[in-house]
Amino acid sequence: MSNPTFDADGITLEQVREYVWEIPQEGEMRVPARVLASESLLEEISEDKTLEQLKNTTHLPGITNYAICMPDGHQGYGFPVGGVGAIDAENGCISPGAVGYDINCGVRMMKTNLTYDELQGNEEELVDSLFANVPSGLGGGGIVEAGVDTVDEILARGVDWALEHGHAVEEDLLHCEDEGMREEADPSKVTQKAKDRGKNQIGSLGSGNHFLEVQRVTDVFDDEVGAAYGLEEDQIVVLIHCGSRGLGHQTCNDYLRKIEKQHQGLLNQLPDKELAAAPAGSQLAEDYYGAMNAAINFAWVNRQLIMHRTRKVFERVFDRSWEAMEMDLLYDVAHNIAKKETHTVDGEERDLYVHRKGATRAFPAGHPEVPKAYRDVGQPVIIPGSMGAGNYVLRGGEHSMELTFGSTAHGAGRLMSRTQAKNEFWGGDVQQQLEEQDKIYVKAQSGATVAEEAPGVYKDVDEVVRVSDALGIGDKVARTFPVCNIKG
Amino acid sequence: MGYELREHTADIAVAASGDSLEVVFGAAADGFAAASCETVPAESGERFSVSVTAESREALLFDYLDELVYLRDVRDELPVDHRVETIDEPVQRADAGGNEPDAWSLEATARGVPLAEVAAREIKAVTYSEMRLERVDGGWEAYVVFDV
Repeated sequence: MSNPTFDADGITLEQVREYVWEIPQEGEMRVPARVLASESLLEEISEDKTLEQLKNTTHLPGITNYAICMPDGHQGYGFPVGGVGAIDAENGCISPGAVGYDINCGVRMMKTNLTYDELQGNEEELVDSLFANVPSGLGGGGIVEAGVDTVDEILARGVDWALEHGHAVEEDLLHCEDEGMREEADPSKVTQKAKDRGKNQIGSLGSGNHFLEVQRVTDVFDDEVGAAYGLEEDQIVVLIHCGSRGLGHQTCNDYLRKIEKQHQGLLNQLPDKELAAAPAGSQLAEDYYGAMNAAINFAWVNRQLIMHRTRKVFERVFDRSWEAMEMDLLYDVAHNIAKKETHTVDGEERDLYVHRKGATRAFPAGHPEVPKAYRDVGQPVIIPGSMGAGNYVLRGGEHSMELTFGSTAHGAGRLMSRTQAKNEFWGGDVQQQLEEQDKIYVKAQSGATVAEEAPGVYKDVDEVVRVSDALGIGDKVARTFPVCNIKG
Repeated sequence: MGYELREHTADIAVAASGDSLEVVFGAAADGFAAASCETVPAESGERFSVSVTAESREALLFDYLDELVYLRDVRDELPVDHRVETIDEPVQRADAGGNEPDAWSLEATARGVPLAEVAAREIKAVTYSEMRLERVDGGWEAYVVFDV
C-alpha cells in the first residue's frame, strides 16, 4: 500500500510515518525535504511559501539527509523560519541567510521562588517598573552605553564580560549553552558599522515579537524532569525573548554582500539570492563563522543584562534581595544560529554546520554538550507561545538526534501577516481584553505592536508542542501562562 | 508611482514604482519609512545626505536601504521624505584588459525624525529575498522584503 500524500499547490508530500512528511528529491534538489507536522499544521504551513523555500534550501552544497521544517514553520526569506539544515563543514558551506538576520535571537527563562498568590496585586507596579527600566522599542538605548572597546570585549568574551562587570553571577554561566561564550568568536570579523549599531543597544529588547514576560507555571507534566529544572505549579518565572539587535542584523547583511561579490559561482547555482553561502574552508566561511560567533556572544550578554536588570526591579517591587527570591537562570536557548557539531550520519561521525533558523537545539539526556546540571534529564527547551496561549518548557527528546540533528520547534509560528493583524485587531482592545479576561498586564511602546502580536495571529502552540512530544524530539515538561508582558 | 506595503507572513514587503531609477529608489525608501511608522510628523528633523556605491543596480538598491537602516540606528533618527538626486551608471566597464568596473553611485537626502518623537517599530534589515528591480513600460518597478 502506498503512503498517504498531501498536495500543496504543486508540491506533493508523502507521509513516511506519523507526523513526518517528505518532499521527494527531484530536479536540482540535493536531498529530500521533510516537514514534521500533523495534518492540521501542514495545512497551515502549506498556505504560504514555506514549502517552496524549504525545497530551495535542499540546493545548498553539502546539505545532509534532509532540509527539515519544524512543526511551527512559516515563510521567511531564503530559508523558512522553523528550518533546520545540517551542512557538511568540510565539503559544504555556511549560509548567513540560513542563520537569519537576528543572530542568536533566543529566549531565556529565569526562575523565582515567588508564587502567583504572592505576586497578585503587584502586577501594575511590576509591569510599569519593568517597562521603565528595561529599554525597548527603537532608539531606547541600552542598559550599558559603551564605546567600541567594550563592544569588542563583549564580542570576544560573552557573559564572562558581564560577570566581570557585575551583571552576572557564576551560576548564570553554568546554566547557559557554552557557558555563555563561543570560543570561536572573532570580533575583528565584525564590521565597524555593526559595532557602531550595537554600542547603543547593549541590554535592550528591540521591538517586533521581542518581549519580556512575567509568567506563572500552570502545569508540570513531568514531575521528575520538572523537579530537576526546579519548576513547580504556581511558581513565578520570567521569560526574555530578544537577540543581537542591530549588530547581528548588520553582520548578516555585511556577509551576504561579501559572499555576493566573492562567490558568485555558488550563488548562481542557488534558487534564491538570500541563501547566499560561503564554501566550507574558504576565507569568507571562516570569517563569517568568527563574526557570527561574536554576535552570538553579544546576544547572550544582551539577554543577561536584561535578566539582571529584572532582578533589580523585582528587588524594589517585592522589597527583598533577588537571591532571597532565588531568581536563578533556568536556561538560555538560541533560535537563529549555525553551530559546528558532530553528528552520526549513516553510522559515521561527521562535522556539520547545523543551521537552525527559528528552531531550537534539543539535545537529549546523556549528550556531552548538555550542561552538567541537566545532563541526566536532557537540555531544557523554552517555547514561547502567544500572549494568550501560554508557553512551554520541554526537554530535548531521545529521538532528536536521529530525526532533526538535535532540534525542535521555537515557538507558535506566525499565521497572519502584520498588516492583516492590524486590520483585524486594535491594540487597545487586545490590551484591555487580556487584562480583563486573562489577568495579563501588557505595556508596549506602540499599540500597533500589541495588535501585530495579538494571540490570534499565531499558530496553536499546543498542537506544535503535541507533535514535538509525540515525535520524541522535545518532550513536554511544563506550561506557563503570562502575567505581565512588556514589548517594544 | 509611489509605493505600496504588501503582505508577508512574518515580514513586510514594499512594492515601489517610478518613471526613473531615482524615483523608484526614493519610493522604496519611503516604503521603508512607512513600514516603520504609521504617522510621520510633517515638520520635525533636519535633512541629511546619503551616498552609496555598489557593483550593480540591484546591489545599489540593497546597499541604499541597508545604509538607511544603519543611519537610523547610529543617528537615532527615522529617515523619511526621501529624495534621490542622482544615480550614476559606471563609466568604465570591466574589460578584457583586467580593468575593474567603476561602481554605480547614488546621491540622496532624507529628513531625520528623532526616534524619541515617533512610535516607530524596528525594521531589522533589508533582504534580497524575492527582490526585483525591473524596467517596465514608462519606468521602473521594485519589490523588496524587509525583515521585521
